[in-house]
Amino acid sequence: MAAETEVQLMMSVGLIEKDTNGDSLWVWCYPSVSAELRELLLRKCCLTDEKGALHTFVFGQFRRLWYYITTAEAQDQATLKKVTHFSIVLTAKDFNPEKYAAFGHVLCRMYLKHGSPVKMLEGYITVLTKGICQSEENGSFLVKDYDARKAYLAGSIKDVVSQFGMETVILYTALMLKRRIIVHHPRLEALLEFTRSLPTLVWHRKDWSILHPYVHLNDCELDALKVCTGYIAGFTDPEIGNRSELYDVYVNLPESEIIVSQFAKDAMAMGKLHKDVGQLIIQAAADPDRSDSQVVKDLAVKTREILSTLTSLAECAGSKITLEHLRQRRFPPATETFLYHLAAAEQMLEI
Amino acid sequence: MRRYKAVEGGSSHPLQVGEEVQSVKQFSSELIVEAVVRCLRVIEPSLANGLSHILPPGMSARFRLGMSLAQACQDVGYKGEIGYQTFLYSNEPEIRALLMFLVEKLPRESSESSDQPAGKSVLLQRSIAFKIKSQLAVPWIPPSCRVPFLCKHQNSDLAHGFHAQHLSIPQTTVLSGKKIPKEVKEYCEKHLLPVTAQPSQHAFLCASLLERNLADISAVQEWESEWNSQGLASRLSIDEYKSRKRQRLQKRLHDQLRHAVQQNQENQHTARSSSDLADLLKSFGAGPCGHEILVKGTRFTHTEKFTFTQESEKMVQQMQAAADSLPSSKQSEKEVQARQEEEVTGLQQQIEDIAVKIEEVSLDIKKLTVSVMQVSDEIHQKELENEEKSGSVQVKSKTVELLPDAENNLGKLQVLVDNSAKRIVNLASQWEKHRAPLIKEHRQLKELCGNKELESSRKVSEIKGLHEKIRQSADEAKKKEELYKQLVTEYENLPKDVSRSAYTQRILEIVGNIKKQKEEITKILSDTKDLQKEINNLTGKLDRTFAVTDELDAKRDESVRKAYKYLAALHEVNALDSENIQTPLLNLEKILNDYKAIRQENSVLAAKIRDA
Repeated sequence: MAAETEVQLMMSVGLIEKDTNGDSLWVWCYPSVSAELRELLLRKCCLTDEKGALHTFVFGQFRRLWYYITTAEAQDQATLKKVTHFSIVLTAKDFNPEKYAAFGHVLCRMYLKHGSPVKMLEGYITVLTKGICQSEENGSFLVKDYDARKAYLAGSIKDVVSQFGMETVILYTALMLKRRIIVHHPRLEALLEFTRSLPTLVWHRKDWSILHPYVHLNDCELDALKVCTGYIAGFTDPEIGNRSELYDVYVNLPESEIIVSQFAKDAMAMGKLHKDVGQLIIQAAADPDRSDSQVVKDLAVKTREILSTLTSLAECAGSKITLEHLRQRRFPPATETFLYHLAAAEQMLEI
Repeated sequence: MRRYKAVEGGSSHPLQVGEEVQSVKQFSSELIVEAVVRCLRVIEPSLANGLSHILPPGMSARFRLGMSLAQACQDVGYKGEIGYQTFLYSNEPEIRALLMFLVEKLPRESSESSDQPAGKSVLLQRSIAFKIKSQLAVPWIPPSCRVPFLCKHQNSDLAHGFHAQHLSIPQTTVLSGKKIPKEVKEYCEKHLLPVTAQPSQHAFLCASLLERNLADISAVQEWESEWNSQGLASRLSIDEYKSRKRQRLQKRLHDQLRHAVQQNQENQHTARSSSDLADLLKSFGAGPCGHEILVKGTRFTHTEKFTFTQESEKMVQQMQAAADSLPSSKQSEKEVQARQEEEVTGLQQQIEDIAVKIEEVSLDIKKLTVSVMQVSDEIHQKELENEEKSGSVQVKSKTVELLPDAENNLGKLQVLVDNSAKRIVNLASQWEKHRAPLIKEHRQLKELCGNKELESSRKVSEIKGLHEKIRQSADEAKKKEELYKQLVTEYENLPKDVSRSAYTQRILEIVGNIKKQKEEITKILSDTKDLQKEINNLTGKLDRTFAVTDELDAKRDESVRKAYKYLAALHEVNALDSENIQTPLLNLEKILNDYKAIRQENSVLAAKIRDA
């Protein structure tokens, strides 16, 4: 049953080639990719990058569609004349970089060996229908081996805490309140690694659709971003620091710096509650015996505590919360605003 | 030297003597000829009329010029030895004598006007210069003290500031090739004022026309230079290039505006966060653009602005009322004070009320924005859920349909899936047969295209080079044209009746002369060699003698000492003489070279004659 539901997650496979003329070209796809998406993927695949940096694996999200791009060199390959590099582009509904990196790698080997997309298509179809694909090397690719939960936990929250310490709680608050976070790092790999671990801070939602790890400053992509209530967006372009209308929290990774925008300062005021959470995170992350997943679990327990406070409040006052109810409880002002906005984010507010 | 300069300075083109020329000895042939010709022009214009003051490059022409110059000098009355060699192979004493003679001959009172035929333009320029000089000499006098004569020059009414206005001139269409719309044509024909009537004051007309003309010319020049530098390199047609430039400009404007608006908004936000009321009020008042941008502000800013304006209006009304009542009332001070206090407390009460209201409203706004966020998020989520569910419902309904005969249908589906997979792979391989060649062709064409691009860029640079060359050639052609015209006029001025045979005769004569001269020269050369030998002998002897004399004891006798002194002086003079001997030798070399040149020219001429 699990295999069947997962099968439907894969949406398309495509092929981009860079030839000796220096052109990057969509040469093949199955079943189809819209023109808008084709343009976007061409931008994402490193072949069009003028700096010529080669990223073997890139992933990202556009309008709830995940794309995974595996790139390989094809220099002096008898099967591929005039082609210097090529990228296999997989699009899917689910977030699972490891799965699609492995599958993309298998497809790459196939294409390199045969020089024709037909073999690739065969592999793609067998994964669709049977959830398995024979690799060119020994062994085979099995969809079952790649659990979504594993993918969620693949990022290291401990690294985040070790870099930002107590300031991690700002990221926690922003995520809890469904605010807009923008992360900047000039190196794409660092960006992908960092951003994917952030949604674990709000494990109770298990919502990875807020993650847009690789966004260009492009109208089409920014429009898609603006539709979302809250998001984590990664940018390699340093120009993003000037676009304050796009973020509530700005993370400058190379400088280890977190900036809260003027608009969000009120809602993001910190109090004792935040201090508690922050200390909890730091303690958990500093423990060398605790794994990343255990840290995530500890934090999730604390989050659940906070949420249960809210639910109990809601039950006292009918089914939904109002600001007046919160006021009656006489929380410290920072806690009050946090709870109020959290209630809104969790849809527990009476309207 | 200064003397010569002074004399030559009087003529229209002063003689240019370089800094390095310190004495007559250093005069070159060119300089000598120029000096003599200029002097002759002043002394006897009729004689010097046909003489150029520039030494021509051809040897025979030089020779001719030298001859005629010598003749002219003799005509003026110079009695000394003179010939072409005086000018071409100069020798200091001769030149000095000649120049001294010429300077003596120069007219005492320099009467320039009679010396040179004055053209119209010269006359005009002179009269202008004279007028300006005389007007400058007159001191400025305040308007009230001016006599009628001065009013004419010092009246500021006559002078206008350079004030240009825009002139409406119909665009000529010959160049652009576009048709004028009918309406525009009609407007130009019936309604447009003539250019002379367009400026608001007639005095602006001249300036406006000048300005307009200059603007047009510079626009054309600018466009040309831009097109040649950037336009050609972009490899677009003129229209395309212009439209692209327009787009670029528009985009830049757009960016700038966006940036400015954004900054303004940020400024407002920072102002809003500060709780000081006065600051807030100031921020509303500050900057004329602030209000315009506020139209785009949030509801919060709107309500705030609204309450504040209301409040201020009320204040103004109350102030007015108080002011009205003041002069009319004659109540005691106490009453006035009491009333004022009353008013103050009333106003304070009002302010407090309003502040409370503002707080309430802002709280409401806060609540509303939060709820809006929640609702929009909810809607978003629900929509997504809906989409997912409708998809799964479809699948499930199909499954339910197939449920009754599950075993069978499962098998059927499996077969269907397998078949479809096979079919798709089959189709893909077929598609590949078409796709691969097409991609290949595309790449080939692209490569070709790239090559062509390379070629074309090469050609563009070539074209640029050609453009440059064309411009240079045009310039050159212009210069040549001028030269040609000058030569034609010169040619027309020349006497026409000189026949070819006369020339050939003369050339033959010259050749004969030169032959004789050559013989003489060889003779002189051998003589000179002999002389040189003798001189060497004598110098040797002299040196030896001097050495012997030197050894003698000179102090013993007075007469001997004197004799020794004279001998030493004689020795010095000798040394000087030997230096002087060097010059004729140099001249001799020059003469030999010139002789060779003449021979060459003659052979060329002889060949020409033979051809003819």
